[in-house]
Amino acid sequence: MKKDLISMDDLTLDEIKIYLNLARKIEAMPLPERLKILPGRIMASLFFEPSTRTRLSFESAMHRLGGSVIGFADQGATSVSKGETLSDTIRTVENYADIIVMRHPGEGTARRAAELTGLPVINAGDGSNQHPTQTLLDLYTIEKDLGRIEGITMAFVGDLKYSRTVHSLIRALMKFNVTEFYLVAPEALRLPGYFMMNDQPGRFQFHETEFIDEAIPKCDILYMTRIQKERFPDLLEYEKVKDSYVLSQTMLSSAKADLRVLHPLPRVNEISTDVDQTRFAGYFPQTRNGVIMRQAILSMHLGGRI
Amino acid sequence: MSADKNVMLIPKIESGIVIDHIPAGLGVRLLDIISHYTEMSDTIISLGLNYRSQRLGRKDLIKLQVDYLDPEIIQHISIVAPGVTVKVIKEFAVQNKVVVQPPREIRNLLHCKNPKCISTSEPSVETHFIIVEPATNKVKCVYCERIFDLNELKLKQVL
Repeated sequence: MKKDLISMDDLTLDEIKIYLNLARKIEAMPLPERLKILPGRIMASLFFEPSTRTRLSFESAMHRLGGSVIGFADQGATSVSKGETLSDTIRTVENYADIIVMRHPGEGTARRAAELTGLPVINAGDGSNQHPTQTLLDLYTIEKDLGRIEGITMAFVGDLKYSRTVHSLIRALMKFNVTEFYLVAPEALRLPGYFMMNDQPGRFQFHETEFIDEAIPKCDILYMTRIQKERFPDLLEYEKVKDSYVLSQTMLSSAKADLRVLHPLPRVNEISTDVDQTRFAGYFPQTRNGVIMRQAILSMHLGGRI
Repeated sequence: MSADKNVMLIPKIESGIVIDHIPAGLGVRLLDIISHYTEMSDTIISLGLNYRSQRLGRKDLIKLQVDYLDPEIIQHISIVAPGVTVKVIKEFAVQNKVVVQPPREIRNLLHCKNPKCISTSEPSVETHFIIVEPATNKVKCVYCERIFDLNELKLKQVL
């Protein structure tokens, strides 16, 4: 039976660990060996909305496994712009490739596509719903940086209300027995209560605060996100908070020695460039891990030889 | 007034299906739903309102002179009025009865409220919800994964 990757909610802890183990294995392989994993296989990369990082990272991953890539990066240049339905696009493309990687602004589109085709479908982002490959690469980065995931203290900063990356990672970390979270956000962008829901009262601690300084000395991972101006109903509110969520080197003086700062990127100004040169900066290695994790995902879903 | 006298208010049916223990006020809504299904268009239907009930205080009641009730209609009823009893009548006697529970999954009956959901933007997609918290009637759209209150979702127009 084909296996899709649509939502983190579909994965058990054991299944997540399989992806992490495979990524570790692939990273340890010499590059020429990796080229033998998926020779002759074709990945269809269907990006119905613009994306730089995710698309290039998937394409790089496939090429470096010896496979090849077809697809589009903008639906303006495709039959979709002529009014073709999603279903027709998927049924056509399935004749050209072995796996479909897709991003679409419509929420639930990847699941719908998976219902329509016999090919494995990998969700590379469906609107503000899910982006499971980002979560898996974040988990891989945390495990690599700290040597463990279980029991760490995690801080999320910025837009916790709308960031699908944050939502998905929090749910995944809870599966890993991460029990202490610092949630740093302005009032208007607090994490919706649903994401903190669980059936074990008292087990998880969510410290909600508006002040990043409260979280920095406590956490092992400081996960930054971008605060988007357009999210604020009142622009005065935005002006009030925008600078308090900009991380600078001096703010990190109280941090634990092995703290890592992560960010799904692209950043605008929420991490000042003086942090880049510190030992805390983990966001560029994070993008490198993205390619490795996506190699693991493609290998697993295409049954590559490892 | 005794329970037996209540039953006589609308005639007993020889065979058919009785939907009983409908909370008072929901009978008309259920009748409206049932009568939207084309296969029910020729069916003889009796509706009773505001009967005394030990369990509910007041209840409504619907009698349908049919041999069979489509599971889709029962699913539909179970969403609007979970807990009603569906009784199968043969030769004036109850042959079988079930208390209708809210379903675990609801297919193609509710509209997703999220305008960005694929089930909203592509009409060919059948909607699909999973009940995540039966006690609070929380449902999750299988496509966009948003959680909603069952009551805030509109029923699709039945053809």
